[in-house]
Amino acid sequence: MSAAPAEGDTSVGLRERARHLCSACRQVFGMPDYERYLAHAAQRHPGAPVLARGDYFAQAIERKYGKGGMRCC
Amino acid sequence: MNKLVSVLVWPAIAVIGAFSFAALALGRGESVNAVWLVTAALSVYLIAYRFYSKFIAEKVLQVDPSRPTPAVRHNDGLDYVPTNKWVLYGHHFAAIAGAGPLVGPVLAAQMGFLPGTLWILAGVVTAGAVQDFIVLFVSVRRDGKSLGEMIKMELGPIPGSLALVGVLAIMIIILAVLALVVVKALTASPWGLFTIFATIPIALLMGCYMRFMRPGRVGEASAFGVVLLLLSIMMGRAVAESPTWAPLFTLTGEQLAWALIIYGAIAASLPVWLMLAPRDYLSTFLKIGTIVALAIGIYYVAPKLAMPATTRFLDGTGPVFSGKLFPFLFITIACGAVSGFHALISSGTTPKMIENESHMRLIGFGGMLAESFVAVMALTAACVLDPGIYFAMNAPAAVIGSTAANAAQVISSWGFTITPDMITQTAKDIGETSILSRAGGAPTLAVGMAQILGQALGGKSMEAFWYHFAILFEALFILTAVDAGTRVGRFMIQDMLGHVYKPLGNTEYLPANILATGLCVGLWGYFLYQGVVDPLGGINTLWQLFGVGNQMLAGIALLLCTSVLVKMKRERYVWVTLVPTAWLLITTLTAGVQKIFDPDPKIGFLSLARKFSDAAAQGTVLAPAKSIAEMQRVAFNNYLDAVVCAFFVVLVVAMCIFAVKICLKALKQAYPTAHEIPPLAGAPGAPA
Repeated sequence: MSAAPAEGDTSVGLRERARHLCSACRQVFGMPDYERYLAHAAQRHPGAPVLARGDYFAQAIERKYGKGGMRCC
Repeated sequence: MNKLVSVLVWPAIAVIGAFSFAALALGRGESVNAVWLVTAALSVYLIAYRFYSKFIAEKVLQVDPSRPTPAVRHNDGLDYVPTNKWVLYGHHFAAIAGAGPLVGPVLAAQMGFLPGTLWILAGVVTAGAVQDFIVLFVSVRRDGKSLGEMIKMELGPIPGSLALVGVLAIMIIILAVLALVVVKALTASPWGLFTIFATIPIALLMGCYMRFMRPGRVGEASAFGVVLLLLSIMMGRAVAESPTWAPLFTLTGEQLAWALIIYGAIAASLPVWLMLAPRDYLSTFLKIGTIVALAIGIYYVAPKLAMPATTRFLDGTGPVFSGKLFPFLFITIACGAVSGFHALISSGTTPKMIENESHMRLIGFGGMLAESFVAVMALTAACVLDPGIYFAMNAPAAVIGSTAANAAQVISSWGFTITPDMITQTAKDIGETSILSRAGGAPTLAVGMAQILGQALGGKSMEAFWYHFAILFEALFILTAVDAGTRVGRFMIQDMLGHVYKPLGNTEYLPANILATGLCVGLWGYFLYQGVVDPLGGINTLWQLFGVGNQMLAGIALLLCTSVLVKMKRERYVWVTLVPTAWLLITTLTAGVQKIFDPDPKIGFLSLARKFSDAAAQGTVLAPAKSIAEMQRVAFNNYLDAVVCAFFVVLVVAMCIFAVKICLKALKQAYPTAHEIPPLAGAPGAPA
């Protein structure tokens, strides 16, 4: 999902769309979305160190499920 | 242009809806096509969304798109994340849709398809969607606070603490009843049990893959997880047919109950990345995939409803659950019409992700409509089945016996003609040895889905696959709920114990963790075991207890919404929440009191307890108990159920008194007294 953008390629638009679609799916399913985290970090805290993918993943899972997470009947 | 579309489209939807209802209403005496039912429901949803939710958003709540939401104010990329409204709609729907809307309507089908359908539609529009939407609104205006915190803020600290105890009690009952559904579905079913068991190693494998092999690669792990799941369904058939493996996976109800209790204790103690998270992903895929497949399947196959519009069991003598239409229909179908548990989700993660106040209408109101649609489809799937098969699957063994011949005779005597051959053939088609007395909704729904999906894809030969697919889909998210719910229960218990003895409240302290987990599992495990050994099937007792609890919680949430509207000085519109509150209080208090005091032992806990304890005192053993000790246990369990039920009744009456007091006080004030976060508490972009 982290395909390198091919410059000057018409498929860039398509790839961009696929990336957005994957990101939307991850959010619907409640999965950690590393690319989104990177975008957030770059926008809000530019220059600050960011977590590695694995560390971000571990933290996000712990936040979401650590207290169990209310679930519906 | 938009106006023109609006002028043309809405009358068209109204006409389609009216036409569908006419087909349902005029088709008496002959079987009606399920497509009419589903289309009528969809039309009601669209119209309610377009008009009623707009009215609530603009006039009652006066949502303000320019007012920064908690997600915008605190945007931290972790909990508070402004999220695209359609994405959040999907996320919210996945969080609220569980086993509830699948089980309740299936049980209620014993009264025919019409009562359930009408309650689901009327309930969702006037109560369920309103509750979800307004609780979401109230939470968004309070920084995404939880239901308990908001009750504390708006009604006072005592109601706040009461609500928390109530939530814990309801959760214990929910976990027990969900686990019971799994037990009923998997008893003596090696194919089913093998597939469910296989989800444990699959989840562990996915967990390790995402943690160590390819850290954070959730998509890859999910892809192979789904493939392995499908393979496990196919392998299940081989296991069920193998003379060596089948006995290993053929367990009795009691054995399964113990297995689930041990599983719950272990699963809730493992690190979350190992099993809970990966299995939650699988469960969410299957959930959304199956629901979409079922909707397409119903329209593609267009099956006829075999169940009549109403049955003779409106009078309260039904074998699936006892009690008359009023009030018991309204507590049997909770999720799908109105579910108090949603108030916890609408004040949980969702309000922290709302990007703009104007999105709440789609997510809160619209999300509940989607769940209601799931309930309508579940009802449809149950009513597509031959009624004889439906009753064979849902009536307890104490009523229909344990052989196909006996069951066919009893059920035919009710006026639903069926032969023993039809019963055994259905079991054979789905790859099981017996379908008798599998109450709890999941197996019935699975047979209905198997027939619908089988006709759409693969024919008769695929029915067994689809049946076990449907069982897997339900069991998977029930097990996830058991795991996650036990963790939530543990934290709530630790929080309460901490008030008694401080070290017990420390969540990092292992002995306290073990104690709280043990208490939580012990509590739901007790009710589960009691349900499994209950000769009347367990569901009859537990589901109604759950229904009373869940609707009471909805009543409490709506009382909060009503108080907030009054405190905002919007008393002109207070009927929007007051009418559903009153209806919920009337139905659940009536049901609660009947469940405790009704002189008929089939309904009242106390009269059944007395019947058994009196007989035990005289030394007579009443069937289906086999010894005096068993008689005493039945009596004790019924006294316990009466106490739990009484607790719910007292709780909601107390909350009602608190809410009335607060409202009367607020009415006298000349200005709004609700505790909202002021609109400019933090400008967008301000540091969190």
